[in-house]
Amino acid sequence: MKFRGGSKVEKIAPQMAPMIDVVFQLLIFFMLTLKIIRPEGEFGINMPLSGEPNPQQDTLLPEMKIRVLAGPNGGLASLQLNDRDLGNDEQAFADLTASVRRIAGDTGGEASDELSVEIDPDYDLNYRWFIQTVGAVSGDRLPDGTTVPLVGNIKFAPARQPR
Amino acid sequence: MRVKQRDANVAEVDMTPMIDIVFQLIAFFMVITNFENTRADERVKLPLNAIARPTEAPREKDLVLNVGYLRDNAGNVVQDSPDALLFHGDGQNYPIPEIDPVLSKEARYFTDEGTKLPDVTVVIRADAEVPSGQIQELIAKSQTAGFSLFAVKAQQEE
Repeated sequence: MKFRGGSKVEKIAPQMAPMIDVVFQLLIFFMLTLKIIRPEGEFGINMPLSGEPNPQQDTLLPEMKIRVLAGPNGGLASLQLNDRDLGNDEQAFADLTASVRRIAGDTGGEASDELSVEIDPDYDLNYRWFIQTVGAVSGDRLPDGTTVPLVGNIKFAPARQPR
Repeated sequence: MRVKQRDANVAEVDMTPMIDIVFQLIAFFMVITNFENTRADERVKLPLNAIARPTEAPREKDLVLNVGYLRDNAGNVVQDSPDALLFHGDGQNYPIPEIDPVLSKEARYFTDEGTKLPDVTVVIRADAEVPSGQIQELIAKSQTAGFSLFAVKAQQEE
């Protein structure tokens, strides 16, 4: 059977304009909502309510007490572990980590809940030193970039009076 | 005179490469946009720490508290008050000694929606220059409001 005009194929062009409109809207939305921020990490803090039983109170290892003394303008004056002065420089934090690691022994790749640390900073101490102390007892960063977790039970002492 | 009609030559622009590029851009912006951090306040300059790691799984219930100072364009503190400010989600700034009503309101909100306060983590994003004592006061006030789980944020050091 012969079809007349069968050789002409009609080309149907899809409407691209609406899709491009939407795609550009999306692009502009994502560009405007973009906030370039550095990745954030965090430390968990154990602060049970007063009167509640603290499961970590019956641990075998004694609680470590870390005192962080503030200098002028909130700087670090002294870092003390169980009343032993470690200094006020980067080496002090390295010594703190080494001391905690000696006490912790082999934690098996996880933070030890057997270990308990109470951090007691001066009121005026800049928060950065406080966080550095928390970091120093939370883990030990090895030269290859891996981190050995240490203390799993960190708490803060009640605030002292401002100077 | 009779003019013979011809098919008009329509120049069609090839849209395919442009759409390819635009979709690539959209995919790029979608991937790098961090929707988790929409509650982070840019005025807070977090302390740096190499040990701080992000949580492995996102929390279901948390209360993010941004604590810092008002700063000018050069990054200097512009307020006269020595107290750090809580940058609350309602757009108001509250000095730390005056945040009890804010925390009570947040605690009531969680209780009303059926969440137990011990299941809520208070995430503290505090400026590196805030006195530590004010963060301890903030934690004590949060405990008074009924919260008991806390996490302190730091910026990851390279």
